[in-house]
Amino acid sequence: MHSTVVRLQNVFSFFTTVAFCVAAVIALSSFINPQVPTASIRLRDVQVYVRKGRPFYYSQKKEEYAYMSFDLDADLSTLFNWNTKQVFVYVKAVYPSHKPGLPDSEAIIWDAILPSASAPWHQNHYIHPSPKGSQKKPKKNSKDNKGKSQAEAWPHGQGILHLTNQRPKYQITDFSGKLANRTSVRLELGWNVQPWVGALVWENKRDFGMWKALEGGVSERFNLPAIGKKVDGRKLEMEKGKEGHRLEVGGEYPIAGKGKRV
Amino acid sequence: MADQLLDPLRDALEGQIDFEGQRLAELITTFLLGAAGIVAFFIGFMAQDIRLTLYIGLAGTALTFLAVVPPWPIYNKNPEPWLPPSSRAIGVNIDVDGSKVG
Repeated sequence: MHSTVVRLQNVFSFFTTVAFCVAAVIALSSFINPQVPTASIRLRDVQVYVRKGRPFYYSQKKEEYAYMSFDLDADLSTLFNWNTKQVFVYVKAVYPSHKPGLPDSEAIIWDAILPSASAPWHQNHYIHPSPKGSQKKPKKNSKDNKGKSQAEAWPHGQGILHLTNQRPKYQITDFSGKLANRTSVRLELGWNVQPWVGALVWENKRDFGMWKALEGGVSERFNLPAIGKKVDGRKLEMEKGKEGHRLEVGGEYPIAGKGKRV
Repeated sequence: MADQLLDPLRDALEGQIDFEGQRLAELITTFLLGAAGIVAFFIGFMAQDIRLTLYIGLAGTALTFLAVVPPWPIYNKNPEPWLPPSSRAIGVNIDVDGSKVG
């Protein structure tokens, strides 16, 4: 510590040690926040249809796609503690593989980024649709949502989702290209808790300390129908999501918020 | 000439402090940074605001840099009384090409 440079180095060196220790303690502090997530999910509508080609692929292969809409009631409010940056929540369709002995196939049909109160505004953040009967319509222009308060973004409270007849964001296909008449399909809720510091955690299937396992979150098993004869395009509209840059099968360009081409 | 100009500049940049000052600087570094970390965590945890933790921690670190890095007079209160240079007193004779040196 005899000269300025040495003192500078020593102070910075000890600062990094302190910063690491504080970060470690913050990461560990997540574990003393109890988590009691609950969810129930139900299938609303399921259709299977054939389309040619895939978004962003120069493929002319005909593949079967499934469209599933669903109801979701979830209370994920306990996932938000002081160390939570955002929760990436998704609904996936899980179905047995073609060959026995292989693990089940999973495909995400809907997802959302649920921001915590401490996260800075971002255009991709999910804004819960207003409940039926309320007068306010969600603003279309994403810039208007910038000033939205926490209460407006969460009509039922932070992390509480009540979605009825939710359209999927993604139509799914199987790598085999065949999806019709699949049996024992179910919808499952999953999430990633992304902390400010610490490890990324997935949904918990079993109790872990003060974190209770997810209660519910799996739909009843259903079978995929045979290929529909005629597909009503409007009926099978995808949810665009906040991200905007979404592709539909057969579409050549990403779809912007209002159908603009980007 | 150059030495007369550069020596004070070098001294200011080197910022030497005495032995007691070094002990004190070490102590202040450990205490201030450690306290900043602990206080930052607890205040942030109480307020459930991780941004508060970040800012308190950074403020404490800035304060520590300010308090320890410059050679403040408090670190030079116990100057070491060095012995005067006296090469003759040692009694070593150096002989170079027959003539005495040193």
